[in-house]
Amino acid sequence: MLKIENLHVEVDGKPILKGIDLEVGVGQVHALMGPNGSGKSTLSYVLAGRDGYDVTKGRVLYKGKDLLEMAPELRAAEGLFLGFQYPVAIPGVSNIYFLKAALNAIRAHRGEEPLDAIDFMKLSKEKAALVELPDELTKRAVNDGFSGGEKKRNEIFQMAILEPSLAVLDETDSGLDIDALKVVAKGVNAMRSPERSMLVITHYQRLLDHIVPDVVHVLIDGRIVRSGDKDLAKQLEEKGYSEVRDAPQL
Amino acid sequence: MTDATRQTLLGSLPTSFDTGPEWLRALRGRAAEALREQGLPTKRTEAWRFTPVRSVVSAEFSRDDRGVPSLASSLPEGVTARSLRQVLQAEPELLEGRLDLGGAPTHFAALNTALFSDGLWIDVPAGTIVERPIELTHAIPTSSDSSVVYPRVLITLGDNAELTLIETYAGTEVGPLTNSVVEVDLSCNARMSHARIHENAGLQVGRVDVRQDTDSTYRSTVVTLGGALLRFDVRCMLQGKGAECQLDGAYLVEGDDHVDHHTTVEHQASHCRSAQTYRGIVSGKGTAVFDGLVVVHRDAQKTEAHQENRNLLLSETATVHTKPHLEIDADDVICSHGVTVGALDEDQLFYLRARGIPEDLAHSMLTYAFLESIVDRVSHEPTRARMREALLARMPHREEIRGVT
Repeated sequence: MLKIENLHVEVDGKPILKGIDLEVGVGQVHALMGPNGSGKSTLSYVLAGRDGYDVTKGRVLYKGKDLLEMAPELRAAEGLFLGFQYPVAIPGVSNIYFLKAALNAIRAHRGEEPLDAIDFMKLSKEKAALVELPDELTKRAVNDGFSGGEKKRNEIFQMAILEPSLAVLDETDSGLDIDALKVVAKGVNAMRSPERSMLVITHYQRLLDHIVPDVVHVLIDGRIVRSGDKDLAKQLEEKGYSEVRDAPQL
Repeated sequence: MTDATRQTLLGSLPTSFDTGPEWLRALRGRAAEALREQGLPTKRTEAWRFTPVRSVVSAEFSRDDRGVPSLASSLPEGVTARSLRQVLQAEPELLEGRLDLGGAPTHFAALNTALFSDGLWIDVPAGTIVERPIELTHAIPTSSDSSVVYPRVLITLGDNAELTLIETYAGTEVGPLTNSVVEVDLSCNARMSHARIHENAGLQVGRVDVRQDTDSTYRSTVVTLGGALLRFDVRCMLQGKGAECQLDGAYLVEGDDHVDHHTTVEHQASHCRSAQTYRGIVSGKGTAVFDGLVVVHRDAQKTEAHQENRNLLLSETATVHTKPHLEIDADDVICSHGVTVGALDEDQLFYLRARGIPEDLAHSMLTYAFLESIVDRVSHEPTRARMREALLARMPHREEIRGVT
C-alpha cells in the first residue's frame, strides 16, 4: 500500500526527516510513535501533500505510484486520508455539504456517479452515529465552534464517509479525555478492514490500547530507531523514549 | 428627459436657478456656489486622495434622467412613493427643510443637489410597519456611453415606522456616470434595513445620508460587485439618544476596477451604538479603498462604536487602502477598530484539498464564504437570497459552491 524509501525532508532548510524507510502492507495498521519534535507531523503532511516541505532525497510509493508527484486533492481521490492533529475551522463552509462535494469529487475520479442528496444524508446519518457526532454539528460550518473532542470525532466521521484505502491519523488522541478517546477508537476500529491500511501517529501508548497495531515504529530525531510489535509501545510507556532509543535493537 | 448636449460636469451648472420654490432655488444656488469655489475633488482633496476622479471631472457627459430611479415592486399599503418633481411643483412646502438634511453638500453631492431634475420620495407614516421590502432599481439607460444621471431619493420614516428598502444599481456599460444621493430621515424609534447592490460596471458616485432620532435603528448592507470606478459614501448622524446603526459591506473587485467605500458615523447624542463590518476581495489589478470615520462628539457619553475592515488580496497586482479612524471627544465610551489585509488562509485551503476538493474550487469556496458572512447578517431572507445570487453570479464554480456554503 505505502512504501517510503530513504525519505529526507527539510523545512526552511532545516533537516527534519533524515532517511525514513517504512512499508505498510494492505490491511495493516502501523503505529508511529515518537516524542515532540521527532518529525511525526512532518511525515503526515508530506504524505498528504502540504506545501513548505522540501523532499531532498528518497521517494514514496503509494499503490505503486509516485505519491510525491500528486496534488493533495489527487492523493485524496486516490484514497489517501489525513486525519489532522489540529483541524482548522472554516467559517462559512458547511461541514456536510463540503464533505458531499469532497466525496463526489473522489467518486468522479473513480468514474462513479455522484451520490444524490438523499443517499448522502442517509450515509451521513449512519456514519455520524458511529462516532456519536450530533446531527447539528454535521450541519454547522467546518469545525467552527467545535470543541477539541468534536473536531477529532469530525475527522473520523469524514474518514468514515470518504472510506480511504490509507488513513494517516496524526495524533488523533491528543486533547481527548478517556471517553472521547474510546469513541474515536471505536470509530477507527469499525473502519479496519483487509483492504484498508492505517498509519496511526501518536505520542502516547494509551491510544494503542484501543487501536491495536500490527507494527509499531519509534521515530526519534527524524529516524525510525526501532520497529516491533505492539509490545514495543508498552516498553516505551514504561521506559520512556530515551531508553528505548539507546537499547540495542533485538 | 434627454439632453444631447455634452458638457463637463461643472460646465453643466447653470448660472442661475429660476424654477421651483424659493427654498429649493436657494439650496441649488448654494450648492452651485460651493462647486464654483471648491471645484470637484482632486488627488489633493484628502477624502478623495485614492479615488481617481480626474478623468470623470474632465470628461463631457450628456444628461439623461429617464426612469431613474424606478420602483421595482408594488407599494405596500400605507406607504407613499411620489415623484420629487411632482411634489416640488404641487406641494413644495412638504419638502421644505427635508433635502440636504446633512447640511451643505460638497463635491458630487452638491452637483446632485444643483442638478437633479426628479427622484422619489418614499414616506412611511408613523406607526406603519412595512413587512414586504420596497425595491428601487437604478438601471442606467444604455443608449449613450457618456450619459450622466442624478438619481435622488428621500426616505422618511415617522415615529415607530419600519421599512426594508432594496436598491439595485445596475448597468453593463462602462461609460455612463451615476451620481446619486439618497437621504434617510428616521424619526423616534423608526427602524430601517437598507440593502444596496452595486452591479453597475460603469462610473458611480453615490452618497447615503442618514439622520437618526432617538432610539431609531438603521441597518445597511452594501454589496459591491466591481465597477470601473465606484465611490460610495454612507454617513449616519446619530442625533437622538439611544440611536443605533449597523453598516456592513462586501466588495468584490476584479480586473482594473476601482471600488471605494467611505463610512462616517457621527455620534452626536449619548447612549448610541454603531458597528461597521466591511469585507472585500481584490484580485487582478483591482483597487479597493475603505475609509471609515467614527466621530464621537463631546456630549455623546456612553457611546459604543466598533469598526472592522478585512481584505483578501488574491493577486500581487491588487491594491487595498484601508483607513479606519476615530475622533473621540467624550470620555465615557467603548470604541474599537481593526483592519486586516491578507491572502487566503493556507491551512483552510490545504484542509479542503486534502479532502479531495480541487484547488480552484477550494479557492472559490473560501472567497465566497468570506463575503457571504456579510450577506448572512441580513435578516430578511429574500434579500439575503438576492445578495447571495448576485455574489454567486461572479464566482467560478457557482453551482458547486451554492450547495456548500
